[in-house]
Amino acid sequence: MTEDNNQRDDRLERVLQRLGEHGMSRRDALKAIIASGMGVAVSPLVSRVAWGAEGPGGLPLARPDSPVTLPTHGEAIADGLEPESGTFTVFNYEDYLYKAVLDKFGEKYDVDVQITTFANMDQAVTKLANQDVDVDVTEITPDRLTQVTAGKLLQPINQGYIPNLQKNVWPQLQDPFYDRGSQYTVPYAVYTTGIGYRGDKIAEDIPNMDNPWSIFWNAQDYEGYTGIINSPREAIGLAMLYRGNTDLNTEDPAVIDQALEDLQALIPICNPKVNNTQYQTLSQGKSWLHQSWSGDPLMNVWWYMPEGMSSDVIRYWKGPKGATPVQNDCWAVPAASTKPVLAHLWMNFILEEQNAYTNFTSYTGYQPPLKSITPQGLIDEGAVPKHLRTAVVEPEDVGPGSIQYATLTFEGQRMWQDAYAKFISGV
Amino acid sequence: MYPRWLWQALAAPGVVWLVLLFVVPFYAVIGVAFGTLDPIFQNPIPIWNPFDWNFDNTMQILAQFAPGERYWQVFARTAVYIFFAVTISLLIAYPVAYYISRHARRTKVILLVLLVLPFWVSYLMRMLAWVGLLAPDGLINGFLVWSGIDTDPPNWLGGHPGTVIFGLIYGYIPYMILPLVAALDRIDKNLLEASRDLGMTARQTFFRVTLPLSKMGILGGCVIVTLPMFGDYYTPMIMSGSPTTSMLGNQIYLYFHGGPQPDVGATLTIVLAAFLAVLMAYYLYSVAKAQRELQ
Repeated sequence: MTEDNNQRDDRLERVLQRLGEHGMSRRDALKAIIASGMGVAVSPLVSRVAWGAEGPGGLPLARPDSPVTLPTHGEAIADGLEPESGTFTVFNYEDYLYKAVLDKFGEKYDVDVQITTFANMDQAVTKLANQDVDVDVTEITPDRLTQVTAGKLLQPINQGYIPNLQKNVWPQLQDPFYDRGSQYTVPYAVYTTGIGYRGDKIAEDIPNMDNPWSIFWNAQDYEGYTGIINSPREAIGLAMLYRGNTDLNTEDPAVIDQALEDLQALIPICNPKVNNTQYQTLSQGKSWLHQSWSGDPLMNVWWYMPEGMSSDVIRYWKGPKGATPVQNDCWAVPAASTKPVLAHLWMNFILEEQNAYTNFTSYTGYQPPLKSITPQGLIDEGAVPKHLRTAVVEPEDVGPGSIQYATLTFEGQRMWQDAYAKFISGV
Repeated sequence: MYPRWLWQALAAPGVVWLVLLFVVPFYAVIGVAFGTLDPIFQNPIPIWNPFDWNFDNTMQILAQFAPGERYWQVFARTAVYIFFAVTISLLIAYPVAYYISRHARRTKVILLVLLVLPFWVSYLMRMLAWVGLLAPDGLINGFLVWSGIDTDPPNWLGGHPGTVIFGLIYGYIPYMILPLVAALDRIDKNLLEASRDLGMTARQTFFRVTLPLSKMGILGGCVIVTLPMFGDYYTPMIMSGSPTTSMLGNQIYLYFHGGPQPDVGATLTIVLAAFLAVLMAYYLYSVAKAQRELQ
């Protein structure tokens, strides 16, 4: 693969040299090749220029320890505008927003509300880019933010409409590393990636193991009941964490190859399933040990416990800060939104304490990063069982020193996806 | 009496249907496979002009179909699963179709309706129903324990090839039965009577008359179930979820579902389509040959 890439790079270099002889600068020549629509297929070098050695459109790659201020495209809406009328459309994952909360918003502002869904973030970005959807506010993950900003798909927000951002949200996410100054986004939900397991089935004391991630590589007794999240980033990230590599945005082929080798080693050990059904299979007994997001154990306990079974059996382990991935997603206003005022009001509405709490505890299982929502508070209110305190994210878990899957270069994405494809091919 | 063009015009709806729903979409897949990507959004940008196609990716992917390489192994696994699924489907479907065609009489219509009935429920739902039945605490294991057949029943959903093959058989077997019923129905009863009159036993009549005359139904049924099975990705995903049981469709799904390489997914689709075209060509050749023999 690398040899082929080198050959293509050599060919491209020769083309660039010829263009240079005609007085065109190297960068302009590369841009011309990209604009011709032939570039990316010709050479990874071109994609490195399109995304820069940094990110899409040459924007720098944001990291928790290396925050990025995104360029502003267009103007935010003016202060003091009246909300629009008509139908307000939210663009979101399926089952990731409580309809009752959205209906309440509709009642408050006297508008019809509807949800348009996408299956994954790739699909969301594609639909926004192709203008296949007519939506007013969209869910977006930080790792795609530079991409949609470079593509001018979002409009800057006017924080004057969103006082709850300063009032209610954790300080760490008022000025997040991926969007310094919250120019485009407000946070929606926050979660960690850890290990969900059945306390009554798993003999090992996972939290007290020297390397809890290694439980997957010692799961011979749980063959057929072990699972990994169906995501290139999460699956390969798991193997990296097992080796103690906490740079989850690495593009070092050696590290990725090692992670692939480790994942492949799991197959003869425990024949893991690769899926995203851990939010219900732990309580149903179909899996006993599953890489999980922190919302999953809560959903197991809230919605899927079989009658007569104690919720005590559902456990969740997360590593300390800097050793376990912590992620969040956001709301943003598409550039093409026809109801930007309502979109701003929605962002403020969903950050209202009661609305956020209801959405979290009555439906999604994914925690809003609000000051009022604390582990002890959730336990005291009976919303979260005491033994699942680990499933609640705390403000200290995010920010500098934390690890988060962030934007990769085009080549980086290819490497991660190819490694994952090899793993799930079972070869 | 009627002008010749009238008969040709009757084919127009079918031709339009084929062009709109097969030729154009398939050409789009080819355009994506040999095309490029949007440098910012990474959306596929199909290249429509064949002179501009880029085959670098294709050659790399084809190289991975060499024996021992990644796609070869996934393809071989897929082919083995489908071989077993089609063979077992045929062994189940033929007696069922034979009974419906020869012995059902009054109940024939009811049985055919019952065969079609599963189509009223989506494939996905039918598979999910089996997930419930085959779960560790599902009805199947409950029965095995209750009856004493197996006090420690297996975890059927734990990544077993057998479960995936079972899912394929269950999902596609009606497609096998229906063409077989049609083929058996078309056999002239006089031929069977002649066979018996000439001294053949019922068994000999079946093997020397009925079975050869139903060959086209067998081939048709096999082709009809084989084609969708090769593209299937949800059966292994739902019934197993293990990498060890993933099929070629799962690789295509991964590359199309997200990420920066939809062109790889499109190329795999074309490779698979080319292989299936060979199977289809054999089927069409057999049909043509059989028709010539009948004339």
